Amino acid sequence: MPAPVLTRTLNPPRPARVRWGEGLPVEVDGEGVESLRESWLVEDRWWTAEPLRRRYWELVGERGRNLVVFHDLISGRWFLQGP
Amino acid sequence: MSPTPPYVELHCHSTYSFLDGVSLPEELARRAGELGHAALALTDHNSVSGSMELAQVAEDYGVRAIHGAEIDVITGPAEDGGGHGRDAGPGAGEGHGEIRHITLLALDEWGWRNLSRIITHAHAHTRDGPGRREQAAPAVDLARVIEHAQGLVCLTGCAARSAVGGGVHDERSARRLLVAFGPENLYVELQRPYARHDRARNRALAALGRRLGLRCVATGDVHAHDRSRAELQDAFVALRNHATLDASEPLRRGNHSHVMSAPQAMASRFADHPEAVRETLLLAERLTFDLRRDLGYRYPGAEDERASGRLSELCGARLAERYGSAGAAHDEARARLQEELRVIEALGLPGFFLLHHDMLELAREVALEVRGPASVRALLAPGRGRGSSVSSLVCYLTGLSHIDPIAAELALGRFLHEDLHGLPDIDLDFPRDIRERLIPRVHERYGQDRAALVAAFPTFRARGAIRELGKVLGLPAGEIERVARGAERYGEHEIAAGLGAGGPDAEEGAGRGEPSIRWRWLARLVEQAYGLPRHLSQHPGGMIVATRPLIDCCPVVPAAMEGRQMVQWDKDSCADAGFLKIDLLGLGMLSAVERCVEEIARVRGERIDLSRIPFDDPETFRAIRAADTVGVFQIESRAQMQSLLRTRPRSLEDLTIQVAIVRPGPIQGGAINPYIERRRRLREDPAYEIPYEHPALEPVLRETLGTIIFQDQVMQVAEAFAGFSAGEADGLRRAMSRKRSQEMLARHRERFIEGAQRHVGAAERTAQRVWTMVEGFAGFGFPKAHSAAFGLLAYQSTWLRVHYGAEFLCALLNEQPMGFYAPDSLVHEAETRSPPARVRMLGLDVNASQVQCTVEQEGVRLGLGYIKDMASAEAQALVAERIRNGPFADLSDLAARAGVRRLTLEQLAWSGACDSLIGGLDRRSALWQLGLAAPALSIGGDPQVPASQDTQLALALELPAAPSLRPLSRWQRLIADYSTSGVTIGDHALAILRSRLVVPMLATSAQLARLPTGGEVAVAGLVIARQRPGTANGTMFLLFEDEFGTINLIVPKAVYESHRQLARAEPLLLARGRLERSQERTLEQARRAREGRGEEAGSEEQIRPVINVLVRELAPLERFVAGGIDDEHRTAAANVSRLPAATRSAAAELEADGVEGAEVGPSMRAVAPPVQSFAAGRRR
Repeated sequence: MPAPVLTRTLNPPRPARVRWGEGLPVEVDGEGVESLRESWLVEDRWWTAEPLRRRYWELVGERGRNLVVFHDLISGRWFLQGP
Repeated sequence: MSPTPPYVELHCHSTYSFLDGVSLPEELARRAGELGHAALALTDHNSVSGSMELAQVAEDYGVRAIHGAEIDVITGPAEDGGGHGRDAGPGAGEGHGEIRHITLLALDEWGWRNLSRIITHAHAHTRDGPGRREQAAPAVDLARVIEHAQGLVCLTGCAARSAVGGGVHDERSARRLLVAFGPENLYVELQRPYARHDRARNRALAALGRRLGLRCVATGDVHAHDRSRAELQDAFVALRNHATLDASEPLRRGNHSHVMSAPQAMASRFADHPEAVRETLLLAERLTFDLRRDLGYRYPGAEDERASGRLSELCGARLAERYGSAGAAHDEARARLQEELRVIEALGLPGFFLLHHDMLELAREVALEVRGPASVRALLAPGRGRGSSVSSLVCYLTGLSHIDPIAAELALGRFLHEDLHGLPDIDLDFPRDIRERLIPRVHERYGQDRAALVAAFPTFRARGAIRELGKVLGLPAGEIERVARGAERYGEHEIAAGLGAGGPDAEEGAGRGEPSIRWRWLARLVEQAYGLPRHLSQHPGGMIVATRPLIDCCPVVPAAMEGRQMVQWDKDSCADAGFLKIDLLGLGMLSAVERCVEEIARVRGERIDLSRIPFDDPETFRAIRAADTVGVFQIESRAQMQSLLRTRPRSLEDLTIQVAIVRPGPIQGGAINPYIERRRRLREDPAYEIPYEHPALEPVLRETLGTIIFQDQVMQVAEAFAGFSAGEADGLRRAMSRKRSQEMLARHRERFIEGAQRHVGAAERTAQRVWTMVEGFAGFGFPKAHSAAFGLLAYQSTWLRVHYGAEFLCALLNEQPMGFYAPDSLVHEAETRSPPARVRMLGLDVNASQVQCTVEQEGVRLGLGYIKDMASAEAQALVAERIRNGPFADLSDLAARAGVRRLTLEQLAWSGACDSLIGGLDRRSALWQLGLAAPALSIGGDPQVPASQDTQLALALELPAAPSLRPLSRWQRLIADYSTSGVTIGDHALAILRSRLVVPMLATSAQLARLPTGGEVAVAGLVIARQRPGTANGTMFLLFEDEFGTINLIVPKAVYESHRQLARAEPLLLARGRLERSQERTLEQARRAREGRGEEAGSEEQIRPVINVLVRELAPLERFVAGGIDDEHRTAAANVSRLPAATRSAAAELEADGVEGAEVGPSMRAVAPPVQSFAAGRRR
């Protein structure tokens, strides 16, 4: 078993409110979504006690910000990644 | 049918991408069919190993097979000069140039041919390293690909992933491809693996396509047929990179989008690039190459117009020699020959038979070179046919087979029939040494590019999978090893059970989540990996020859042995391709009987021609009926010996059945017990009528008393009972003998049951029962002709054993490893035979032993080759010195002259080989004295290989007498024997322990026969075989050896499971259980039966009953020895298993370390002789 690494996670994901539209998020924490940049899928660490299954979206918000949100496919909750 | 599916998958990997794909081609085809795909391209990495398999099955699932491969190309400056780069370079890693992937798909035959050539080039230098062991990654220069572009479509390759080479995405290389393939046949490949930069990359690629005027095509880069295998792919990526899952994150895909999806889902995945999705359909339509159609393969002689005439001339001449020129036999033979020649002519195969004749003539030349003209071995044929070829009269006449098919009543059916597809196999057995020389000669004769070996694909076995996948999961190495050792070698359903019972879960408890999750995953991954191809390897002896370069038909890659190369297809794929396959197999027993005949000539001056010995020798058959067959061919195993006692063979025909009977086919088909029972009834009552399932079966099953024992009987039953044509019956046989054809078998079943009702008016239930016999047989049996060849060798070897016991034993000891028994068991069995058959065994002696075992006046002398860690050059040097300058006078003389390393000298002393030099002193003193002797020193050169001219001879000084050392106890001597030579002579372990065994009702092997059936009994022994055949539902069979003989034990599943570790690993065991005897007939019944037949009393030989101990309980024997296994050991306080550092295994060291003053039991565990274990050969 790998030893636990004693580090501090920078920018941990925080819960987000996401409104779902036609196959992609249309609003993140109240900010409308302007366009879709990328979307990807992470299914990993299935062999551990904390498997990952996340659908990521990299979006451009109305205010011109880059928004990275993910849908945790295990818990069903949404998170906002990044600053 | 639904409308045309919107997408065709053009990029898909199977397990033949070796560790980058987790599904078999059939699984992919089946799943593709289920998902509604119309076509599927298989594109394994630098390989087409799975292509023929896909081609054969795809149609069954409604899918059209497309053929291609994903190729590693070297782009960049290296290949600018035009392809010289790789040829000059030392291997795949040339240093310059980047490795990129491109996907090539075959449009037509030209394309396939070029694909084969490209793949051949990619592998050409993968085994250039020393010893050809290290395998470099295959790769080919871009220039090579460009040379071979015709008939191929090129896709620019997979999506680049971090740290993994992606496709050709740079414009410069893409333009070079464009020049070669043209805008028609070069496509920009778009993939959407749901990784972070997919959209940006695909936009850039689409732009590249527009700049170059190329179309884009979407592909899925499939690596698994089903979601349930997705995790295994991640594990394989880690395994391939020698990393753990935790550490290989950048290398894997990060999600499971590599699982095959439905066409509609794929279309949605590429919603941004609908034109690329449409293009898959258009492109697929152009890819019409069908691998099942003509590959353009021809075998040498296929087009020879005079072949027919030459063959009948050859056969006609031999016919007169064999059958005379008139008479019934001649007429029958003549008629059969004409019929065979007619079929051969109709099939266009005369050239094929001439080719084989040619091959045998080549073998004859090689044999003459290997054996030398003067040798008695020259009397023996260089090889012999096995398999179905033996049933052909033409083969008999051309010398391919040594069985007269007319006298042996062999049917031709399986070998030759008029609706034969493909070519019949011809299998030839050779002594090992001749085979080694023959294979390169065949390469020479037919051309390096026109002859190659057949490939084989070793699959994941339980142990290996546990070790490799356990490591990948980051589980502790010690635990993995423990679990792996406990894993069964047989049957995947056992793996999970084994892990459950042996894994640390039980101890750690499910409370600690993480480790137990990983162990659960291990069980699941191992079960999925089990049986999947692991890598490419070579078939033991199958060869392909062709009239045109083989690389036009299939890629040819270097094999692990120097000078050998192989095609990328296994024997099934080669057969499907219609390749002519010749099996040149090495058979240890053929080598052994040759050695034996030579030794007889050397010792007794008798010349024996094994083809002219009497084949009805009563003594030989008496030995066979009494199961005195240890060491002989085929009928020596535990199961065979028990069966011999019940079938009681009386003729070669009986032996033919005998060698076929202990096979999974007859066992699963339920043939054995009825056969044995009917044979017994017939013996007792010659008027007994065989109960056939249906009268139509009688003609084909008469000789096997109504049971199916031979593979050809399956076909004969299908023809006689269900009205199959010969071709259909052969199709049934092929369907049964392969894993890949479940669907096909189901179709045959329907046809069989319906046919039986129509053809012979059988009731449906009868037809069902007969089908059950046929299906149970499932192809895992010998054809009769093969059995006849093996039965003959079984007889010949028994005949040698009976009449030349010492020479036969000697030959076996020199031909190891072979057969069922370890040398130690062979020796003990020979020593315990009742005189006159007893063979005396003589121990190692530096003044008497040759390098190999030899027959002396007194008995068989063990050879120096048996001493572990003694280099063969050392043994040769020692013997040569003794011959040159006389026997060694004493230890210092030996040390000075033998020219062997100090370690070897110590090993010699410890093995007892120096006992004759020390005048009654014992090994311990010899070792002490040798410590003072100065061995000759090697000055320069390899210390492993002493060369006399490099050796500075030492002065032979007189050695001081050893202080009074305690002599070795009998037990210590036994351990020393096992640790130095693996063979102990004289004292059996049980003989040493017997007087101190404190066990109630303990019986020896000699006493068992006199004990009552059903009674309680305890037995003790050294385990010499443990088997758990898949056909026995979890029962384990053990074979014990004690100082008088052997004891058969049956360990029922429940008992086995509660004594797993003991049953699997402990060399000395005590078993308690019930005595069983299967020969129910009492002496009184035997007498009455004899009188009924009007025979005189005493004319029937004594019948040995079959005795088994049905085990209830197992225990380690050392627990029952008064005073411990070695009673002298405590005072001796020496650890004999480590002197002189002979046992090197880590386990032994580990156990030996804790041994000071304790039991020596563990040391026995470390040195016990290897044990026969089912399906795994011998292991410790």
